[in-house]
Amino acid sequence: MIFHDVVTLYTFKAIEYVIALSFLALFIPFWRYALSDRPATQPAMQAVARRAVDLVEWFNIARDVAFHPGHAWARVDRPGLVTVGMDDFAQKLVGPIARLDLPPVGAEVGQGEAAWAVQVDGKAVSMVSPVDGLVAAVNPRVVETPDLANRDPYGEGWLFKVHAPRFAANVKGLLSGRLATRWVEDATDQLRLRMAPQLGLVLQDGGMPVDGIAQAIDPERWDTIAREFFLS
Amino acid sequence: MRNGASAVLARPWVTEKVLLGLGPREYVKSLLTPGNLVVGLILAVGIPVIIYRFAFGLGAATNLTQQAPWGIWIGFDMLCGVALAAGGFTLASAVYILGLEEYHPVVRPAVLTAFLGYVFAVLGLLCDLGRPWNLPIPMFHSFGTTSVMFEVGWCVFLYTTVLALEFAPQAFEWLNWKRARHFLVKLTLGLTVVAVMLSTLHQSSLGALFLLAPNKLHPLWYSAFIPIYFFISAIAAGVSMVIVESALSHRAFQSRLDHHVNLDQLTTGLARAAAIVLFAYFFLKLQGLADGGHWALLATGWGAWYLFEMIGFILVPSLLFAHGARTRRVTLVRWTAAWTVLGIVVNRLNVSVIAMNWNAAQHYVPSWMEVVTSITLVTMGVQMFRWVVNRMPVLRELPDYRDAH
Repeated sequence: MIFHDVVTLYTFKAIEYVIALSFLALFIPFWRYALSDRPATQPAMQAVARRAVDLVEWFNIARDVAFHPGHAWARVDRPGLVTVGMDDFAQKLVGPIARLDLPPVGAEVGQGEAAWAVQVDGKAVSMVSPVDGLVAAVNPRVVETPDLANRDPYGEGWLFKVHAPRFAANVKGLLSGRLATRWVEDATDQLRLRMAPQLGLVLQDGGMPVDGIAQAIDPERWDTIAREFFLS
Repeated sequence: MRNGASAVLARPWVTEKVLLGLGPREYVKSLLTPGNLVVGLILAVGIPVIIYRFAFGLGAATNLTQQAPWGIWIGFDMLCGVALAAGGFTLASAVYILGLEEYHPVVRPAVLTAFLGYVFAVLGLLCDLGRPWNLPIPMFHSFGTTSVMFEVGWCVFLYTTVLALEFAPQAFEWLNWKRARHFLVKLTLGLTVVAVMLSTLHQSSLGALFLLAPNKLHPLWYSAFIPIYFFISAIAAGVSMVIVESALSHRAFQSRLDHHVNLDQLTTGLARAAAIVLFAYFFLKLQGLADGGHWALLATGWGAWYLFEMIGFILVPSLLFAHGARTRRVTLVRWTAAWTVLGIVVNRLNVSVIAMNWNAAQHYVPSWMEVVTSITLVTMGVQMFRWVVNRMPVLRELPDYRDAH
C-alpha cells in the first residue's frame, strides 16, 4: 500500500468517525431539548427552579420579588410599573385554583387591601395587594388557565401589573432576602401547628406538602384558615 | 313468507349500519356534496383508465420501458404507500408492546390507515405487473428463495393479512359479533409482534431492491445502507402520517370523535418521536454519504437536489418537530408532519424514479394514464377510509366494548 492510499483510507475513516462522534455529541442535547418542555409548561417546581429561587421549608421563594405578608409578591418591571402575583405558599395552601377574580384594568388597589380573589371548590378567598396604584394590565393567560398560578407562581402565573407611583413607600411594608426567608419559616411553623395527624406523610417528616394544604387540614373551614394567612 | 319477513328485518340493519340511519333516497341525497362530485369525476376518468390498462397492456398505458421498468406505480403507490402505512406497526408496538397506553386512541385509525395503505399499494402493484394473473406462481408454486422480491412479496402478503386481523375487531364491533371480536382481541399482542417482525423485514427489503441497481441509481442516493434508510425513514413517515391523519380526522369527523382524548398532547408526543428518528436518520444518511465518498457530486445539480432533501426534508423537520413539541405549538407540528410526509414521498420517488437512470439518454416520465391511475387509487383509499370511519368505531370506542384490550 503506497503512502497515498493510506492517507486516503484514513481520511475516509476519519470523516466517518467525525460524523459518528458528532452524532453522539449532538444527540444527547437534542434528545434533552426534544423531550423537555418550555419552562412555562413545566410543573411549578421545575419552572421556578429556572428562576432564582430558594426553597424555604416546603415553599419556593423567588429572589427577585418582594413579598407582602398576605402572601402576594411584587416585582419591579421598570420604575413605576410593578407586576403582582401570589406566592408559592399561597398556591400550595389553597391548592388547584378553579377561577381567579382579578381587578379590571384601571381599578385602584391599595397595599394590604383586598384586591383579588381565588376560587377553589366553590369558595372564594380574597387576597391583598402588595402595593398601591392603578391596575395597568391583567394576565389574560392566567384568567383563562388559572392553574398557571399553581404551576409557575413567580413566572407565567403572574396576575396583574400596577402603576405604582408610591412604590418607594410601599416597599417598606414588603419583605425580601433574609427577612422573607424568616417570614416563610414562621408561616410554615404556624401551619405545622395546625396540621392534624391524619395528614400523614406530608407532616414534619420531610415529605412535600399536598396541594391544598388548608383543605387537608380542615376540609370544611379551609377558607377561614386561608384568610388568616392571607390577612384578608 | 320467511323471505319476506327476513327482508323486513334486514332493512333496519342496512339502514342503520350502512346507510347511517337514512332512507335510501335521503342517503343518496346526502352524498351530493362538492367533495363527492370531485371524487366522482376522478373515478369516472380513473376507472376506465385502469380498465384500459388491463385491456391493452402496460405498453399502451404507460411510458415504462425495459430500461425503466419501474414507474410511479412502484415509486409512489407501492413504496410511498407502504412507508406511510408504517404508522400501523409503530403505534401498535408503542401501545401493546411498550405499554404507552396514552396513545391507544390513535392506534385504531393508524391500523386502518396502514391496512388501506397496503391494500391500495398492492392494487398499484397489480397494475404494474405485466401479467398479474401469474402472481400465484412465484408466491405459492415456484419459490425464488434467493430473491429480495420474493421476500418482499411474502412479507407484504402476510402483513396485509395481519393488518386485516388487527383491524377486524373494529368491523366485528360494528357487526356486533362479540365472540369473534373477543377471540381476535386476545391475539392482539401476538399480532403486534408478528407485525413488527414483518415490517422490519419488508420495509428494509423494499430498499434492498435498489441494491441490485448500483449502476442505474445516482451515487448520492445509492448506498449499502438503503435498507436501513428505508426502515428508519418509514418509522418517521408512519408517525408523521398518524399526526396528519389524526388532525384531518378530527376536522372531518367531529361527530365520530371521542372528546375525552387530548389530541394535542398525543400530537406533541408523536412529534418528539419523529424528531428523534429524523435526527438519527439524518446522521445515518450523512454516514452513507461519507461511505460513498462522492463529495464532489454535491457541487452538481443532483447534489443540490440531494442536499435539499437532506436538509429541507430531514434535518429541518427534525428541528421543527422538536421545537414544536417543546413549545407545544401543535399547528407547527402538524404542518411539519405534512412536510415530512411529502419529504418521504420525494425520497422514495428520488430513489425509484427521479435519480434512477440519471445518466441514461432518455429519462422516464410517467404517462398521463399512470398519473390518473395513481390519483384514482389514492382517492379510492381516502374514500374507503371515510366510509369505514363513518360506520365503524375507529375514532372512538363503543361503550359496550370499553373493556381492557
